Amino acid sequence: MDLDVYGDTLCALVSAAALASSGNRVCLHVPQPELAERLRVGKCPYREPGLADLIVEQVEAQRLRFAGFAEPPSDQSVVVWLALSPDCLNSAHGIIGGLPMTPRRDWLVVNQSTFPVGSTEALQASLLQRCGGAEVDCAAVSLPDLLTEGAALDGFMRADHWLLGTGVEWARRMVYELLRPFNRRRDAIMLMLPREAEFTKLAINGMLATRLSYMNDMANLADNLAVDIDRVRQGMGADKRIGDAYLYPGCGFGGQSFSRDVMSLASTLQHSGIQPQLLDEVLQINERQKEVLFRKLWDRYGTHLRGRKVAMWGVAFKPASTRIDNAPALKLLEALWAQGVEVHVHDPRALPALAEWAGERDDLVLHDDPYAAARGTDALMLVTEWKAYWSPDLARLKAVMKTPLLLDGRNVWDPAFMKESGFEYYGIGRR
Amino acid sequence: MAFGISRNVPGSASWQALLAHGEHMRGRHLAELFAVDPQRFERLTRESGPLVLDLSKQRIEEETLQHLMDVAREQNLDGWIARLFGGEHVNCSEGRAAMHWALRLPADADCRVDDVDVVKQVHAELDRMETIVNQIRAGQWRGATGEVITDVINIGVGGSDLGPLMMTEALADSRKVTASPLRVHFASTMDGSQISQLLGRVSPHSTLFVISSKSFSTIDTLSNAETARHWLQRQLGNRQGLLDCHFVGVSSAVEKMTEWGVAEQNQMRLWDWVGGRYSLWSAIGLPIALSIGMDGFRELLAGAHEMDEHFRTAPWLENLPVLVAMVGVWNTNVLDINAHAILPYDGRMKELPNYLEQLEMEPNGKSVTRSGDTVGWATCPIVWGNVGPNAQHAFYQLLHQGTEAVTCDFIMPARRYQEKRHDAAAPELVAQHELALANCLAQSRLLALGDAALTDAESMPAEKRYRGNQPSSTLLLDELTPHSMGALIALYEHKVFVQSVIWQINPFDQWGVEMGKKIAVDTLARLRGAECGETDGSTAGLVRRILRGG
Repeated sequence: MDLDVYGDTLCALVSAAALASSGNRVCLHVPQPELAERLRVGKCPYREPGLADLIVEQVEAQRLRFAGFAEPPSDQSVVVWLALSPDCLNSAHGIIGGLPMTPRRDWLVVNQSTFPVGSTEALQASLLQRCGGAEVDCAAVSLPDLLTEGAALDGFMRADHWLLGTGVEWARRMVYELLRPFNRRRDAIMLMLPREAEFTKLAINGMLATRLSYMNDMANLADNLAVDIDRVRQGMGADKRIGDAYLYPGCGFGGQSFSRDVMSLASTLQHSGIQPQLLDEVLQINERQKEVLFRKLWDRYGTHLRGRKVAMWGVAFKPASTRIDNAPALKLLEALWAQGVEVHVHDPRALPALAEWAGERDDLVLHDDPYAAARGTDALMLVTEWKAYWSPDLARLKAVMKTPLLLDGRNVWDPAFMKESGFEYYGIGRR
Repeated sequence: MAFGISRNVPGSASWQALLAHGEHMRGRHLAELFAVDPQRFERLTRESGPLVLDLSKQRIEEETLQHLMDVAREQNLDGWIARLFGGEHVNCSEGRAAMHWALRLPADADCRVDDVDVVKQVHAELDRMETIVNQIRAGQWRGATGEVITDVINIGVGGSDLGPLMMTEALADSRKVTASPLRVHFASTMDGSQISQLLGRVSPHSTLFVISSKSFSTIDTLSNAETARHWLQRQLGNRQGLLDCHFVGVSSAVEKMTEWGVAEQNQMRLWDWVGGRYSLWSAIGLPIALSIGMDGFRELLAGAHEMDEHFRTAPWLENLPVLVAMVGVWNTNVLDINAHAILPYDGRMKELPNYLEQLEMEPNGKSVTRSGDTVGWATCPIVWGNVGPNAQHAFYQLLHQGTEAVTCDFIMPARRYQEKRHDAAAPELVAQHELALANCLAQSRLLALGDAALTDAESMPAEKRYRGNQPSSTLLLDELTPHSMGALIALYEHKVFVQSVIWQINPFDQWGVEMGKKIAVDTLARLRGAECGETDGSTAGLVRRILRGG
């Protein structure tokens, strides 16, 4: 089958590569031409096992090619596969609005993007409007992205389950056909309405966020009760009813999928007038948690921060990412700047995004070397747990810092060992 | 009346002419005045900036205004206006200037008084205020534990409460969204009623107190501030930075702020030449700026400045403050009307009557002239009021059918609910606004015309008849915005000044409010069981009952 995948998300790359690998001819539309160039030569922006190689392989087999967003779908294509960023709902409507309409050319739109609940139905409406009387069948279905990073390719090729949201029989058959090569052991496709599929995805994200905010709440209590939250976390995780995923306290989570726009049910279905109460609270706790390292610093220096220098390791919203969407680092930076603190930042990959966000300013200095960032500072904040930060050269670090004060926003360091090494240490719910 | 009949006036020629004209007008009914002159509205309506002043429902004719201006001339009103704007010590009993107008001068204005560059001084302080306002509004003012400040409690009384409260409420629709939620509260009463309620609702981690007191010695304010400080210390412990993070101060008494513990960087100043009741234009207006943002606050100042210029330069017959003031003098001293109701037909202005009570009755509630003689004429009437539509269910009965003559100010914005935030509910809300406007117009019409506004009034029983002839002014605002509110309040300020000139009193002091506070000090000791000297039988008796527990 010929199909067109749109997007530069991990999900877009995985879907395009996987669908090409099963014999389809896929055209992957990405917003920036440079990305296509890099993918073609095996440079993938996501460090996902096997993904870069698979892409190159499919390009060589001439089953995968690249195009821009504006380029129309391939001539034979009847499937448009959307795996866009959460903030690209408008682009999705734009893509649909630009589909060529010729007699007897049916269109199936598969939406994998994490948009607010109800978006796929809205896309369906756009599609019908586009078809406007032409004698064609058009349908938009929801197939939420359920990939886990680090096992994304496997997650597509051997999925535990799919959520397919559609009420249109021919569309369902078509999606089953596309997924057949990846759906062999047993039928792993769960059929529901589009808004039910979207809602399920939102409910999953909401549950994960809730676990994190809950743990952060517990960690803040632990701080005051001289309890080590990490032991508590392990104890909780050992309980089978709970399990150990998503129990790590930290200085808040970011990323577009967890943004208020996406998590708020209000966006598309707001006429119901009902707001998710717990989820609102969860997101609010998270916003507050993003400033937890600031509060520890504020407290440590007796509210006098003006004129101090602080090093920040990691600004990406999660390790291995170049993106800073809703990243805790951004709130921290604003809080520090407002108090007259100069911040020295290191991040392996997200500095360009940070520079673009912050613009030129005197109180922000970007460093390629983490130890250079720490030089002469009154504290070091670890905000994103890049692997390279886990075992730093402590002697060197201590030597360059003005005050050896560590604020570990991800609990990656061992408090006792850090203290033995001559540092003052504060984690999240442990010290 | 205690001070002779109100129609006693200085025995000058212009007053005599005015009184003679008054004799001619006293017998005339507003219904008749309207009936004989179809152009009456056009003749007696004036405009300035966002304000329209309709005086056609006052019991006057154009000729009346001429007589009133003669009186103003004879009282040397121009001279007094020049002295006010010249920074002279028009507050003679305290030897101070009254330069609230200088708080609204634009940055490029030129104003030096006693070799001080007043504009520079004022704008330096505004900039300082802006820094604090912006930090709070950005969600970057931190409590002692590092939490973002989300609640600001203004502790102040009198001018440090009424003005900011009135204006913050009035400009509710001009509120600008802040980075994180920001709520502004007011605590004024010395008995702690408000502060105790508020402290039960807010978190000590995220609450900032503004101690607002020109003298920084007002007991009401200091006792509320003390309660706030103890509450914080109890809740958060006596930690570092507690006062620095949770208290800002606005005062002219810098040393006293410092002594109390307000950090130097948290102090905002005003000057001796700003009276408390004229201080909302200074940093005392912090709550307003927190709510509408500093840009909005500067628009407010600009609106007031425009009115200042209008007052200073417009011919009196076109001059809104002068006209309003002189018509007030006419009502008080010629028509013997001693009650004045403030009736805004817009719920956002619900604090305006309270505010104007102080703005009019504190300055002009006097009976001694500038030269120290007892006045022989009536001065400020009793001023009170409420939101018009609510007052309709309270005291309008008296206005329509009681035995007292009362003058009224009807105040309303022509347009409302134009803001984006009202989009969804706009049709219903606009309909409600129209309903309020219709009521405003209907009430002032019925008060003026009486039975003539009805059809077939003669057939009604006596208790359903309307006497009418109650005079009123209508102030129509284009829209209720920072700009129009600035102009409106400046109009009333200048009105009060003009009347004080005519009545020959000093409107800038308030000695009458001092002694009671002093006596309270002795009485407090008595209540706390100290042996005190003689007092009157009533006080002694009540103290005994209180000590016995009722």
